Amino acid sequence: MSAADLTPGLRTGLSTGVPTSPVARPLRHISTRFLRSELALIFGRRRNQAGLGILALVPIMIAVTVKVSTPRAGRGPDFFTSITSNGLFVALAALSIELTLFLPLAVAVIAGDSVAGEANIGTLRYLLTVPVHRSRLLGVKFAAITIFSLVVTVWVSLVGAVAGLALFGGGQMTTLSGTEIGMGSAVLRVLMATIYLGLCFASLGAIGLFISTMTEQPIGATIAVVVINVMSFILDSIPQLSWMHEWLPTHWWMSFGDFLRSPVAWSDVTRGLLTSAGYMLVFWLAAWARFSDKDVSG
Amino acid sequence: MRIFQKSPALRWAVPGVTAVALVAGGSAIQGIHAIADTGLPARSAAQLLVDVQQARLNGLSGTVVQKSDLGLPSLPSVGNSGGVASSDLTSMMAGTHTMRVWFAGPDKARTALLGTLGESDVIRNGQDLWVWASQAKTATHYALPADATAGKSTTPAGTPGPTIVATSPQAAADQALAGISPSTEVTTSGTATVAGRSAYELVLRPKDAASLVAQVRVAIDGTEHVPLRVQVFAKSVADPVLEVGFSAVDFTRPDAAQFAFNPPPGTTVTQAKTPTAPRTAAGSKSTTVAPKTKSADVPKVIGKGWGSVVVVTMPSPTAAASAATSGTTDMTMAQLMKYVSLLPKVSGSWGSGHLMAGTVFSALLTDDGRLVVGAVTPEGLYGALAAK
Repeated sequence: MSAADLTPGLRTGLSTGVPTSPVARPLRHISTRFLRSELALIFGRRRNQAGLGILALVPIMIAVTVKVSTPRAGRGPDFFTSITSNGLFVALAALSIELTLFLPLAVAVIAGDSVAGEANIGTLRYLLTVPVHRSRLLGVKFAAITIFSLVVTVWVSLVGAVAGLALFGGGQMTTLSGTEIGMGSAVLRVLMATIYLGLCFASLGAIGLFISTMTEQPIGATIAVVVINVMSFILDSIPQLSWMHEWLPTHWWMSFGDFLRSPVAWSDVTRGLLTSAGYMLVFWLAAWARFSDKDVSG
Repeated sequence: MRIFQKSPALRWAVPGVTAVALVAGGSAIQGIHAIADTGLPARSAAQLLVDVQQARLNGLSGTVVQKSDLGLPSLPSVGNSGGVASSDLTSMMAGTHTMRVWFAGPDKARTALLGTLGESDVIRNGQDLWVWASQAKTATHYALPADATAGKSTTPAGTPGPTIVATSPQAAADQALAGISPSTEVTTSGTATVAGRSAYELVLRPKDAASLVAQVRVAIDGTEHVPLRVQVFAKSVADPVLEVGFSAVDFTRPDAAQFAFNPPPGTTVTQAKTPTAPRTAAGSKSTTVAPKTKSADVPKVIGKGWGSVVVVTMPSPTAAASAATSGTTDMTMAQLMKYVSLLPKVSGSWGSGHLMAGTVFSALLTDDGRLVVGAVTPEGLYGALAAK
């Protein structure tokens, strides 16, 4: 089942639903139907499901590798040495590894596909015949990207947590500050770090949505987003450009570790969320500016 | 909206204006430490100095940001590759570092140096001093003597590893104020806002022409009389070459739980001997930059005040370079020598050597194994050597 043969069915379902309600009727409640159709499309696609599976391999691999050969203290990537003391660290180790490329790539694929994909296979035309305002269409597209971004991040974290707890067990967690927190608090902090990262990736998704409105080639949009992501990491590592670092989309991502301090260091995380919100707002508006009068021939 | 239908190009103004507004707004929020009329009554430099001496803190917690741009070529082992902040305590020489500090009286203090996904903590609680490093998972315990005079600084001075630059505004101000002598012109320059608080600014200007330091500005809190920020300006660059200041501060006494430390399971715990007399700021702040003085003779100070120069006799460079036999110290020494040989070579009536010229200090390693360091121009170093 490819995307192409799945899409018309869902879209038909959507458009057949519309005539039963008069178009001019004032909107009483915001219908989630469009969003649900969008999400069903994203999560129903085989390639996306396969992608989720591959993303889940990383935490499983980390857990198994550490189980087989325990890294010495001070060696190996961040969080690795802590895994043996608490399995929850597998989730954090997986996130820290996947945050530079894998997770942004997953979001880039979905965001790049959001408008350009439909334009490419010709479904955007049909979608626009539905009496839904183009701004709302972009809103729904962005909501779906954000939800996907959160789901995929939580998914990696969840697989890591389950694999880690199964192999290493839970219990008290040592924070970066060297204090110990209980299991409940530890789970909460890992969850907060995960959601934080999910929202960060969604800001990249907003950039992707904008690029996706500029082209009819979804792969081009995806590549552009990945390039922006990698470029941002490169610029962030050049000390001479320190003046622009705090404005880069990826600069605050690594701050997710601040949730693991005692007490939680909120300042950078707050900056990260504000930066993400700024990128979302600006690029959604840019997508709107581009898409509102775009000539869709399909 | 009708206007957008008439001229669709106008739509692009919406994201454009939003982006500009966000950047401008964000910069404005960060830039509030610009000189502002803070409404503080005028106070002379002498009054401020007394205020600082008499300031007794009940407690504080806050975030300290330290920025240094000493004009050093980045050492392979010291300079971190940007982006990723190191939480290693020895990494303080270059770049920007963020610390969280808690202080509740002289015997209860904690400093946490934040790195990317790592943290180094120095915690003092009563007679216990703990140094924790998250990346290596090590904890070192020092039992302080009972009569230990409580260090004035929130950062314990006897911590291992070179505490290159003062890590708290209080300590930095103490260092700067200790240097005040007839050699310095002390003035006040209105007020400033640091970490959202109104502050006085004390300006110290070296009179010595050879000094590389243009001025040192100390911002002192208007009500608590605690130094909030210290900036060191060099003559060659406009931006401060060294800045230690609070980015957020709260003068309520932190909870006692902040100072409790028990090494978590899985930690390598080292029981260290009681630290010997804390390194006093013997020469000047520049002495701290001298690498590995432990096997050297007692440092000699030539000159006075801002123009003072420290001379240290190093173990013979050739011997050290060839002695790459065993021991990591020899290895690092050899590496250091390799690095030194890349520095520009200079010579004069005093002999010859390699020069490292930073923005606020110069260092010269002569071929006969003398290390000369001072906050002066290279000519100042040569003069000191010739006079010796």
